[in-house]
Parts: sequence; C-alpha cells; structure tokens
Amino acid sequence: MLQLFKNPNVDFMGWRRRWISVSMVLVACSIVVLSVRGLRYGIEFTGGTEVQVKYVERPRLQDVRGALTAAGLTNHVVTTIGRPEENEVYIRIALVSQEEEEDLTPRIVSALRPEDVRSKLAAGLANLNIADAPTLDRLLETNPDIARDDAAALAQAIVEARRERAIFRSPADLGGVPGMTPAVSEWMSSRTFAGPFAVRSQSYVGPVIGKELIRKAFLAILGSLAGILVYIWIRFEFQWGLAGVLALVHDTLIVLGLFSIFRLEMSLPVIAAFLTLIGYSINDTVVVFDRIRENLRVRGPGDLAATINESINQTLSRTVITSLLTWFVVLALFFLGGEALRPFSFVLVTGIVIGTYSSIYVASPILVEWQRWFPGRKERGSGGAPASQGGARKVRTSRSS
Amino acid sequence: MSKKLGWKVPLILAVIAAAVFYLYPPAEKINLGLDLRGGSHILMQVETKTAVKYEMDLAISRIGQALKERGVTFGSVGSPDVGVLDVQGTDPARRGDVRKVLDDFFGQWEIRDAGSGAWRVTMPLEVRAAIEERAVEMTLTTIRNRIDELGVREPTVQKEGMEGDRILIQLPGVEDPERAKEVMQDPAVLEWKTVTYPPGTADFGGWMPPASKDEVLRLFGGSLPADTELYPQRLPAREGGGIVTVWWPLNKVSTVVGNDLRSSRRGQNQWGDSVVNFELTQDAGRRFEAATRENVGRRMAIVLGGVETKQVISAPVIRSTIRDSGMIEGGFSLETAEDLALKLRSGAIPTDVTIIEERTVGPSLGRDSIRAGLIASLVGFVSVMLFMLAYYRLSGVNAVVALLLNVVLVMGALGYFHATLTLPGIAGLILTVGMAVDSNVLVFERIREELRLGKTVRSAVNLGFSRAFGTIVDTHVTTVVSAFFLFMYGTGPVKGFAVTLVVGLVFSMFTAVFVSRVIFELVLGEGKPVESLSI
Repeated sequence: MLQLFKNPNVDFMGWRRRWISVSMVLVACSIVVLSVRGLRYGIEFTGGTEVQVKYVERPRLQDVRGALTAAGLTNHVVTTIGRPEENEVYIRIALVSQEEEEDLTPRIVSALRPEDVRSKLAAGLANLNIADAPTLDRLLETNPDIARDDAAALAQAIVEARRERAIFRSPADLGGVPGMTPAVSEWMSSRTFAGPFAVRSQSYVGPVIGKELIRKAFLAILGSLAGILVYIWIRFEFQWGLAGVLALVHDTLIVLGLFSIFRLEMSLPVIAAFLTLIGYSINDTVVVFDRIRENLRVRGPGDLAATINESINQTLSRTVITSLLTWFVVLALFFLGGEALRPFSFVLVTGIVIGTYSSIYVASPILVEWQRWFPGRKERGSGGAPASQGGARKVRTSRSS
Repeated sequence: MSKKLGWKVPLILAVIAAAVFYLYPPAEKINLGLDLRGGSHILMQVETKTAVKYEMDLAISRIGQALKERGVTFGSVGSPDVGVLDVQGTDPARRGDVRKVLDDFFGQWEIRDAGSGAWRVTMPLEVRAAIEERAVEMTLTTIRNRIDELGVREPTVQKEGMEGDRILIQLPGVEDPERAKEVMQDPAVLEWKTVTYPPGTADFGGWMPPASKDEVLRLFGGSLPADTELYPQRLPAREGGGIVTVWWPLNKVSTVVGNDLRSSRRGQNQWGDSVVNFELTQDAGRRFEAATRENVGRRMAIVLGGVETKQVISAPVIRSTIRDSGMIEGGFSLETAEDLALKLRSGAIPTDVTIIEERTVGPSLGRDSIRAGLIASLVGFVSVMLFMLAYYRLSGVNAVVALLLNVVLVMGALGYFHATLTLPGIAGLILTVGMAVDSNVLVFERIREELRLGKTVRSAVNLGFSRAFGTIVDTHVTTVVSAFFLFMYGTGPVKGFAVTLVVGLVFSMFTAVFVSRVIFELVLGEGKPVESLSI
C-alpha cells in the first residue's frame, strides 16, 4: 500500500507558539503591504473603460501610451496581456471623477488608429479587422458578379474566419475563407485593408456599479465568515467556530497581501475565488475538528493538546492528499486556463497552501490557547455535574467521559 | 447481486440515464455565456426620477390652466421638491373653488391648505411607485422592440437590481455594440408635424415628396422656408422592390410630441384594415384639435427618432378634426400596425436611460477562453485520476468512476436548468472535481485506518463510510454556505460559478458516498469473508 505518511506522530501542538508567531508576523506584513501598496482594483470597482486589443505586429507600449495621451486620454494603464507573441495589449482608463460617465471605447479605438488607416477609411475602404457582417455584406453586394444570398453567406464566412484567427494580417488572408473565389478575393483586396489591430473585448462600468460591487463583495465575505462561524458554533462550540474563522481571516489576509505584492487586479471572479477559498479552507479545519471531537469522546477532555496532536496526525494524510489534489487542479487552471482565469486561480493556488497550513497551525492552537486562558468554563463543562452542564453543546464533547 | 443492493443499482442507472437525457445534445442544452460565445452585455439605468419629474411638470401646467378656467387668480404653481407641488397666492376668499380644482386633478393626492391662499399637494408614495414602475416597463418594452428590430438572435432583456429600475440586455454574437447602444439609447421621441407644402400645390392629400433633397429644394424654388426642415421617410419602391427614401418638408415646431401621447394600440377600421389608435393627453388634445382643424385634407407627418436619426414613419391625410384620440390609417399589415403602435407607445417613454455597464467579448477571445478552460480542466482532471489510481489502486478506480459520474451529473443538471456556462462556471466545474475527490479521500483514509486497527475488510468499509459521513456533511455545508453568499451578492458569471459549485457539491454527496459504497458492496459481494482490499 502506497502511503504518504507511515504512522505520523508529529508534535504539532508543541510547536504551536512558534507557528502562531510566524502567522502573526505574516498577517502583520500583509496588513502593512496592503496599507502601503494597496490593491489594484479592476474597472468593476473603480468604474472606467477597459479594452483588449490584438495587434498584427508586436506593438510598442510607449507608442500606444503616446497615442492615448495625444488624444487627451491621460489617465491610462497600458500593459501587454498573455504571451508576448500574441501581440495583445490591455488598456484601462479608470474614471477620474464621478461626473465623467462616459464609455471611452470609441475614443480609445480612434486614438490608436494610425494616420494611414484614417486616410484609408476616409477613402471608403473597409477595415477587415473591425467591419461586421452587415458592412461586409453591403460591400459584397456592390460586386455585380455576386448574388445577394452569396454575398450574405460570404460576409458571414469572413466574420467566422476572423473569429478563428482573431485577426487578419492582410486582405490576402481572405483567400483561405470558404466560398471565396480568386476573382472575388482580388476584387476585395482593392476595397478593403487589414487594420493594424482588432478589438477583442471592451468593457465600460459606470461609477454607481463600482460602489455597489465593493459593498456587495464586502457583504459576501462577511456573510460567509459569519455563516461558517454560526455553523461550527452549532455543530461544535463557540470557540471552535471562532478558531476556524480566525484561520480563515488569516488565509484571506495573507493571500490579499500576496495579491498586493504581485500587483494582481481585483475583479469579480477574484472575489469569487476568495469566497471559494473560504469555503474550501474551512474544510481542512472541520475535518480536524471532527476528529478532535471524536477523540475527546473516547479519551475525555484531559490533555487537549495531546488529543489535538493525535487527531491532526490521524487526519494528516487525508489533509495533504486532498490539498494536493485540489492544488493539481488549480495549478492546471493557473498555467493553462488562460489570462482571464489567472488572478482567480492565483488566489486558490496560494490560498490552498496557506489554508492547509492554517488548519493545522492556526485553528487548532487557538483551541489549546483558549482552554489555557478560559479554563474555568471548560472544566465546569467537562466536570460531568448535570447542574453545570450549561447546554447540549457542552454535553456533546463530554458525553463519553 | 444481493437483495440489499436490489434497488440501489437501478436507481444509480436511472440517475445516469436522466443526466444523459437532459444533457443530450449538449450543444442545445447548455447555453454558453457571453464571455465564451462572444457578445455584448449592457446594463441600463432607467432614470425613474425624471419620469416623476415629468409627471409633476405636467401637473403644474394642467393645474395652472384649470385655475385660470375657473377664474381663480394665483401667484405661482411650482414644485419645490420631487412629488410636492405648491400653489401660492390664490385668493383666500375662493378657498372652495381652489379645493374643488385640486380635488378634481389630484383625487388620490394629499391636499393641504397652508393658509392665506397657499396650498401644498403631495404625491402619495403609491402613485410615485406606479409612475416609476410604468416608466421602467415602458422602457423595457421599447428596448425589446428595438433589439428585435436589430435582428439579434436570442437576446435577453430583463429588469434587474434591487430597485427594479435597471435593465439588463444581453446580445449574443454582437461584436460591435456601438450600433446596438445607439439604437437602444435612441430616445425614440415621437412628433407630429404639419407639412410645409411647396407653393402651388393643388392636391394636398395626394401630394408625395420627391426622393431627393435637391428635388425638394427645386420645388421650393431653391431654399426652404425658415420654419421648415427636411425629414426622410423610407418607403418600399413602387417598382422592382427595394427601398426609396423620400424627403418631407416639415414644420420645425412640432404640434404634439411623444410625451403628449397617453396610449396607442393596434386596432381596425370599419373595413377591417389594421390601424393604430392613439389617445392624447388633455393638454395636447387641445393643441392637436387646433392643428387638425386647420389641416383637414392635408397630411401631417409622424416623425420618430432622436436628435440625429429623426425620420418620418407615416404621413397620414387628416380626414377630420381630431381632439384627444384618433386613428392612423396607412394600409398597414397587422405587423406594421402593431410595430407602429409599439413605436408610438415607446415614444411616450417619459424618462432618460443611461448605460452604466457594458461588456463586450469578441467571439475569438471567447473561443480562446473555451479552449484554455477545457485544456486546463482536462489536465487537472486527468492528474487527479492518475493520482487516485496510483495511490488507492482498485479503490482508486472506484473513486474515478464516482468522479466521472459527478461531472456527468453536474452537466446534466446544468442542461436541465438550461443554465448558462460561463468561464468562471468552467472553473467551478473543475474545482468541484477537486472538492468531490475530498469525500473519497476521507472515506478511503478512514477505511485504511480501520484496516490497520485489524478490522475485517467488510466492517472496515462499513465503518469507513459511516464514520466519515458526518465529516463529509460538515465540509459540504461550510462550502455551500460560502457559495450561497456568493450567489446572493454576485452578479452574472459569478452567479453561474456559485451555482455550478453548489450543484457539484450536492452531487458529490451522492457519488462519493452512495455510489462509491454501492460499488464497494458489488465488488465485495456477500457472505464469503473477504481477505484483502486493494486500497
């Protein structure tokens, strides 16, 4: 039988103070980083315009920035996105003031347009990388050799081909479009041109939405923390819920700190990832807690630290295997899932590691420390005297003693 | 097969069959979100306050007129705040008359005599809510109509937001949203305008404008009168099909504008032809009566559109004086009459709309996202399966079957709900696999522990499942709790992610606990003691 750990017997709780100190330092660092560097918010939160553009040739970012500045769009962020050979640029212009509620996409696109493109457009040539099916259809209909139905079908085929390859490099690319004859291709090449870029996506978010989203994200995270606290409180005891939630806060803060260090962008899917992390990370803690409770029933509440040690050791291989498997999955998402999912999977890739650590070295030590700081309640609860058994919850942990 | 297992295997097969049934064919049952198939997502804010303000303006002009008609002098009528109307400086001696007028106009409103000839009328909240709701409903109808005109396939237009004053529009396959946005934001203002006939026109009713601007100018001898502008009308050509555009010389000042319209609907005249019936507000009715009286036998043009795109939709001949209601005849088909009625109604939108959010993903990007998402899912899934097989041997096969089943069931459920698969949804699906395998690991590790304690294979399996069960429930509930809040406060694609996650978790209870156990029971059989378990 393949085994990760052969009868593990690590004294986790003996080291608890050292690890709690490490955790506290990490959390403190995160808070410092967050307050100094802050988070980079996507336009969902700030409001603004966002455009993703794919170029035929590798673009020079300073040229893009210069063109935007020249057009009066000064407050821009321009970065490459994806692999360098994909020639993609991401442009974001946050709303500066609340009055300026405008979708800047048309202005951005026209600012990026070089002079020769403007003159070609003015001369009535169609831009193959922007024109939609109806525009191409109208153009093709002016060719007397093409029947009206064929024109519509061909226009559709051209748009499909553009979907497939994302961008046309020149009108010569039209030769590969299904249904295209050399004659028509020749005819088209004198009436069209391939612009230097195509717009892959565009977004505009007004200022109202941003404020709402921040509120909702905040409520969602607080709500799920509270929900988990209450659930564990009901299933176990209050301090167990508190320990679990503190571990979650620890995970969230550290991942947020990493987010700030790597300058990743907060977006809606990232908030979703944080909530998923919260829901996932508590699992390890709950599995350990369940085992602690089970062992407390057998061994009694005598030496809590020893019971916790035993429980963590018993569940260690499960904890590590599950974390490893989920980690495989999110690593695949991180490396292969594309640009759009990267910040999302970053939260989970880092969060799963930290969450696994915290379920062992943060949540359980808090239980031990709680018992040391508030011993009175615990002893009364486990004393077995019916009068002092405050509630069903207490009974549950001491039933077998 | 044992009796105990009797109903379980058929149940599992039935569930699989149901999932496959709802999933097949996947291309039809699973909708791809706009982030995957490409398209435009637009969120509009309906300015309901403007609608209320418009209603107040109308009330101010009406009440002034009514007081004048009764011969009551007054200082001013104004609205210091939305929903509040002040009448000041009326003759205190004519209290009764003022109250009568106010009662007539504002039956449901709260009327207060502030003393010394000042009155305050307050719009009740129900009235305000009704006005706001109507504004949103009418905008919704108009936008739906406009989008249909655009020929977008499978659009979504729905109310959104806590206040219900937002409109969410999803336009699959629309790559360049500028045109769609322009059309949807078009105020669609309706105007009635009198025709400025060229000098020397004899047959006013039969006159039709020419198909070129130059030709119109020629009729007027080179230049248009100062109060006249040209408006286009697109008409089907008399010969050979196609469309011709004719240019109407119309009065710049409109007789009636869209806001004056109370309602319009498709109807029939006495010959059974489709017509459009309309009703005007009282105030507009008076102006319309005067204008139509002067124009009997002539044409009046109905102009629709915003600032840039105004065009004549029809130019009926006025047959008789029209007061506050009338009929537009124009050789309509059922559909064109319905359309025109709709446009007329949409012209009566008493408010502004603004786009507050817009996202457009080009289809090529969506295609890339699908490809990347699927590759990542496949790699993640295969590596999980390989690990399970290597680590748990034959029991790993059991887990792999459970996982595969889980994916099929989740997809089946998505098909059943006609759910929309978004990019975060794909991530949710693949994450579900990571979480579902947790249940298998919990059970298998527990079985191993029991075996180490010297239990027999069968009792170790039984104990493994029963002891791990409580823990599995706990881990599922906590994850569902956070997914619930995600669903509550998330929007769009994120909601899809939450749904996928919850559905996946629910099914993982079924596959990892129930199905996996049945497989163990099938493998272990009954009666004979089992010596060893490949785990």
